[in-house]
Amino acid sequence: MRSPWRYLKHRWQKFYRSSSYQMVLSMAFTAVTVIGMVFLGLTLALRFTQSTNDLQQESAQKMLSQVNLNLDSYLRNMMRVSNTAYYWVIKNADLAEDAMEDDLSLLYEGSRDYLVSIAVFTDTGELISSAPLTRLKVGVSPQNQDWFVAARERSENLHFSTSHVQNLFEDPDYQYRWVISLSRQVELTSSGTTRSGVLLVDMSSVGIEQICSDAALDDPQSYLYLISSDGEIIYHPRQQLINAGLQQENTLTAAGYGDGSHFETFQGQRRHVTVKTVGYTGWKLVSVRPVTGLWDDYGRILGFFLFIVFLSIFLLVFVNLRLSEWITAPIKKLDQAVKKLEAGKEIGDLNVGGPYEVEHLSHSIQSMVSTLRHLMDDIVQQEEQKRRSELDVLQSQINPHFLYNTLDSVVWMTENGRTEDAVVMLTSLGRFFRISLSRGSAVIPISEELEHARHYLTIQKMRYKNKFSATITAEEGLEGLYTIKLIVQPVLENAIYHGMAYADGDGEIAIRAFRDGDDVVIEVRDNGPGMPEDVVERLLDPSGPAAAPNVKGSGIGFRNVHRRLQLTFGQKYGLTILSEPDCGTTVYIRLPALGEEDAMRFNKEGH
Amino acid sequence: MRRKVLFQLIIPLVCLCTLFLLLNTGGSRQVELLQISVISRYTDGSQWSVTRQGMEQAAEDLNVELRILSVQEGGSADQQVQLLQHEASSGAEAIVLVPASSTGLQSAVADISQSVPIVTMETDMADAGASDCIAVDPVLLGETLAGMAMNGVPQGGTILLLNSSAGPCAVRDTLQAAKTRLEAGGRRTIVCSPAAGESLLGPMTDSLQSHQVDAVIAFEASALEMAAAQSASSPSFPLLYGSGSSAAVAAALEQSYITAIAAQNAYSAGYLAVESAAKAARKGIKETTQPLEFSVVRQETMYEPDNQKLLFPVTR
Repeated sequence: MRSPWRYLKHRWQKFYRSSSYQMVLSMAFTAVTVIGMVFLGLTLALRFTQSTNDLQQESAQKMLSQVNLNLDSYLRNMMRVSNTAYYWVIKNADLAEDAMEDDLSLLYEGSRDYLVSIAVFTDTGELISSAPLTRLKVGVSPQNQDWFVAARERSENLHFSTSHVQNLFEDPDYQYRWVISLSRQVELTSSGTTRSGVLLVDMSSVGIEQICSDAALDDPQSYLYLISSDGEIIYHPRQQLINAGLQQENTLTAAGYGDGSHFETFQGQRRHVTVKTVGYTGWKLVSVRPVTGLWDDYGRILGFFLFIVFLSIFLLVFVNLRLSEWITAPIKKLDQAVKKLEAGKEIGDLNVGGPYEVEHLSHSIQSMVSTLRHLMDDIVQQEEQKRRSELDVLQSQINPHFLYNTLDSVVWMTENGRTEDAVVMLTSLGRFFRISLSRGSAVIPISEELEHARHYLTIQKMRYKNKFSATITAEEGLEGLYTIKLIVQPVLENAIYHGMAYADGDGEIAIRAFRDGDDVVIEVRDNGPGMPEDVVERLLDPSGPAAAPNVKGSGIGFRNVHRRLQLTFGQKYGLTILSEPDCGTTVYIRLPALGEEDAMRFNKEGH
Repeated sequence: MRRKVLFQLIIPLVCLCTLFLLLNTGGSRQVELLQISVISRYTDGSQWSVTRQGMEQAAEDLNVELRILSVQEGGSADQQVQLLQHEASSGAEAIVLVPASSTGLQSAVADISQSVPIVTMETDMADAGASDCIAVDPVLLGETLAGMAMNGVPQGGTILLLNSSAGPCAVRDTLQAAKTRLEAGGRRTIVCSPAAGESLLGPMTDSLQSHQVDAVIAFEASALEMAAAQSASSPSFPLLYGSGSSAAVAAALEQSYITAIAAQNAYSAGYLAVESAAKAARKGIKETTQPLEFSVVRQETMYEPDNQKLLFPVTR
């Protein structure tokens, strides 16, 4: 069982081998681009998210700082009122002689936008002086109220209460105001003796609400609330809903937070919470921003960012495709040219352009092709030369052989006083050689070839004392046709040596030339003893036993003619021998019907 | 070449941009604005104004446009029927109704609730087809008020019950439950009902003069305020109990003109009514809101933190 790694490797190699250079290049570029862009995108996105988070936290903290500053200013004002009341009014007053109402009223009027009341109580809760309302409600016990207890317990401090309904003074309008009480222990002087008391400054919670609600929140889902150190709500934008029990707030947890940013999950909602503690009071300003709200904004920006990343990837992929196509274009052209070359087609100019390496490669291939062509031409030429040499050799094998035999006959006739016959023979020999030479032409008219055969037969008939008769006929229409020379005489030679030499005057040789379609056939028929089949087969076998060209009956003449015809015209031409013992032999010499132009071409090529 | 560029560049580019636009526009879907009409039997009163605040907060939270309509003081159910029909035909997508009379509005609610969801306050009209009711349990409230009065009135004592409603509604159900409980507890009850178009003050004064009354129970804030005002002006006014909270009621409670009250959160009632109507209009959901809670508040407990929030709602 193959491991997945090997399987993948195998698949990759298969894919790689079956892919084009452009595809591999495109994919490599694309992979690098995508990996790069994704890496860059993720890095930037993370960085962006981090920066945005930091920015949000910074923004929330700045906003809280601003609110805290306003709140601090507001509370300082109240503390200033308290200080003024204490140090400028209470400390300067002897309760036995002075009334404080006017001073307190003056003080109240100076800050009436923020203040609900100012009051001074004895340590037992008796009202000494107050403004603007001056009568306590019946049954009210200030000494039992939280602000009073806190002032007495922590005498050195200013104490801020949480938001509550003031229920101290009789109000003819029966207005019930939510206030925050600032209380402190004070020293009261009466007839030179001092006793402790409590100074109360009730400030309207509306002022604090105003400061908190004016906070510039950058997100509609964000809000800010103010709680005491024990988590009691002083201000909340949805305080009524919370009071009505329709909504909850995570105040107890928030009360435990230190200043700074926190993440919390409240009622299934993840929230980013920033906390800032208000000086003197221990109150905490809390800004809340749902993380979903954060992500809504992030989502939009990230969506756009991802769009840009994807767009860039896409455009880069497109550019990669075009670029790889442009880079691989010369190699593709080269590949196509080589394919054409393989198909044996002409490729023309192989200048494919492109970078140095590819251009060098194309030049090298072109140079190689050129060299190959030259080499092939050389080979063809050499083959041709070899063939010509072979032909020359074959031809040269004929002439000495025949000349030897003829001269032998002339010598023989001369010796026997047959000078006239010798003259005839020599005349025929002369003409025979004139045709043989043909001024160097290898291709001659068929009529001359037949004439050549006639002279040869004349010579041989004289040599063999008319043991045989011979006829030569040619069909009409062969007058303008040509053949390579000396193809009939070797066949006649064989017919005479193997067929007529033993005849008693009844030997016959018939030569007939005729058209057979696009070919010309020269038929040489004799009525000699014929040959067995194996001898016939051996006669044209090129691998048959070689014999000296001047040895009679070796069959060399047949092979010469057959080989020359095939070398010159192709394998379908040559000799066909039909022979039966005691029935004679017929040899068909098949060659193409060559017109004058073809003959000229063959002559030029040196056949 | 052009075809290649078309397939490789133009088509994917167009697809990418389209996808981006779709994603971008898909995220900014907002809840559609809803039109809800509120038809009340109150025209004024601090309790009603707190209820309105709750309604307006819900409208803001739920993207609702409110049309608050009231009949004239002491208005009849007939006027509310006309308003119901008018609002239904004017394209209101839901209606919050504070019925003046359950019987007088029965057929109109049954008719209109088939096309427009109706949420009632105080009086349950679910049997007429209203989708929800935001109210305290009138029987429980009546029994609680009776129990409060029985603490101050010994057996055999007489308790005057102020019927401030113009027709059958939750006030009457509460009164009936209180009456039953009081009588079962050995107290005599007198029901004081004004004639049509008449103020409750006259009949109440007559009843107080003609009977030895030990305690008075009012069943809604306006009646309680009226009785408290009488109590302030008459030192011999009997013990006063009632339902509902307002600044005047709180002041009277503090000054002992009222002995005890059963107070409910009017802000919460208003908010829940609009919320329920919006749900019914948007999702076709018929909710059954649990009866609202109420608290018994006496002078000595009125400044307890929870009661402060109840009696003195934060107003912004």
